[in-house]
Amino acid sequence: METLLQAIISGLVFGAIYAIMTMGLTLVYGCLRTLNMAQGAFGMVGGYAAWVLASRAGAPPLVGLVAGAVAAAGIGILTHFISVKPLVGRKDIDFEMTAYISTLVVAIMLSASIILLFGARNKAIDPLVEGRLQIFGTVSVSWQQVAVAVVALVCLGGLSLLLNRSRQGLSIMAVAQQFDAARLMGVPAGRVYWVTMALAGMLGGIAGVLLAPLYFVSPSAGDLPILKGLTVAIVAGLGSIRGTIYAAFIIGLIEALVATYVGSLWALPVLFSLIVVFMIVRPYGLFGKPEEERL
Amino acid sequence: MLEVTHLRAGYGAATVLEDVSISVDEGKFVVLTGPNGHGKTTLLRVLSGLLPAGEGEVTFLGEPLNGKSAAAIVGRGLVHIPQGDLLFVDLTVEQNLFMGAYLSAAWRSRRDRIKRVYELFPRLEERRGQQARTLSGGERRMLGIGRGLMSNARLLMVDEPALGLAPVLVQEVYATLDRIARSEATVLLVEETLANARDIADYVYLMDTGRIVHEGTMAEFGADVLSSTYLGNRGS
Repeated sequence: METLLQAIISGLVFGAIYAIMTMGLTLVYGCLRTLNMAQGAFGMVGGYAAWVLASRAGAPPLVGLVAGAVAAAGIGILTHFISVKPLVGRKDIDFEMTAYISTLVVAIMLSASIILLFGARNKAIDPLVEGRLQIFGTVSVSWQQVAVAVVALVCLGGLSLLLNRSRQGLSIMAVAQQFDAARLMGVPAGRVYWVTMALAGMLGGIAGVLLAPLYFVSPSAGDLPILKGLTVAIVAGLGSIRGTIYAAFIIGLIEALVATYVGSLWALPVLFSLIVVFMIVRPYGLFGKPEEERL
Repeated sequence: MLEVTHLRAGYGAATVLEDVSISVDEGKFVVLTGPNGHGKTTLLRVLSGLLPAGEGEVTFLGEPLNGKSAAAIVGRGLVHIPQGDLLFVDLTVEQNLFMGAYLSAAWRSRRDRIKRVYELFPRLEERRGQQARTLSGGERRMLGIGRGLMSNARLLMVDEPALGLAPVLVQEVYATLDRIARSEATVLLVEETLANARDIADYVYLMDTGRIVHEGTMAEFGADVLSSTYLGNRGS
């Protein structure tokens, strides 16, 4: 019973991080109709930004979190102008596949640049807060887990406000849902694209800083998160915002339960089997719509 | 108000509009009619900046529109209400309407504007919190038109507002368009079935295979012209 509770807590915390991470993929897919394979690398860059500030300037973790978000948002904008914008609207290429490859190239280049700058060795980073909170018996949560949950909730709540209430946010949803109509309302699609990439970068960066104390900051720190993000996005249904949140927590819980009861080596194989099953049974995900309905 | 002269346009190598000249005067209800698939919607797409013009000139309120972005064109008050509504189906009714006031000049007064739209379409106010995808066909049409009215529209280009609606709803939509034309903005209507707009049209253009083949007031528009196009026996 106590083991189960511990697993559920851990699953929810990881689910929250996956939700922020994947939301970046979801927003970009909604607007641009391509998978941004640099999303994991955005998180890796966020982690390094926090580590640099903490280790070289002694900045407190919260400053690191903000710095990670800002740095990754900047990288998101850069990624857009280097590897996505030149492909938009080209008739001679398949945009979805080409942008997928070009953003994957950006991810590889970001990792390589980090190796050149800081070396290949893992760096440790302090959690946002230290210590553990005893709930009952042997069940406890670390304050870091609480902090992750709080940051994630603030991010998702803020994102929901932004998307549903603000002019800029509504225009992101409008471009995602009805591109021609959005243009007829006067929405400049080009600006919405880079704002969305900045937002994706920011979310990735925050997820990266939250993950950093749980693992390490390393040049490959974005590889596992992008795989988890893709898993979540596929289970959710590509481009579905609501689905992303549910799917992130489902994936987080499955992973934690499998790791606890079967062994942590089995977590990834189980998740990937899940992708295969979804691809066959429900390729449009839990909350997506089949293509014909989307039109 | 709107002057289109010798316009040519199309998709890639396929020319759809051969040589189109029309003009719309402020306060006049102008109808562009003709059989389906002969360039009426393409003309609206060119005018609203979704599709580049090949040759020819478009001026609106005395200023040339050629090469202007869709955003710049809406900003000047030339507003296109597209065929089939093209709603943002996962947004609520109210969010759809706010999107219609996206440009900053309109955005600042969006709350006053939405009140005006709700006066025109009380049904939309009842449904304001619902997702657009849950609306009935008639309500969707109202939302499409209302969203267009949220902008600083001087000239509304409405594409086939009767499409897919039951006859009783068609009458209602046309009564509303008549009201809009009197109090809100000049209307350029694209309508395949000219009879729908018989009572409100001031001036009519008939388009066939990408050209304007006939124009005149509703009275001048003889039954012979209509029947000759619709029955498909032109020139044969």
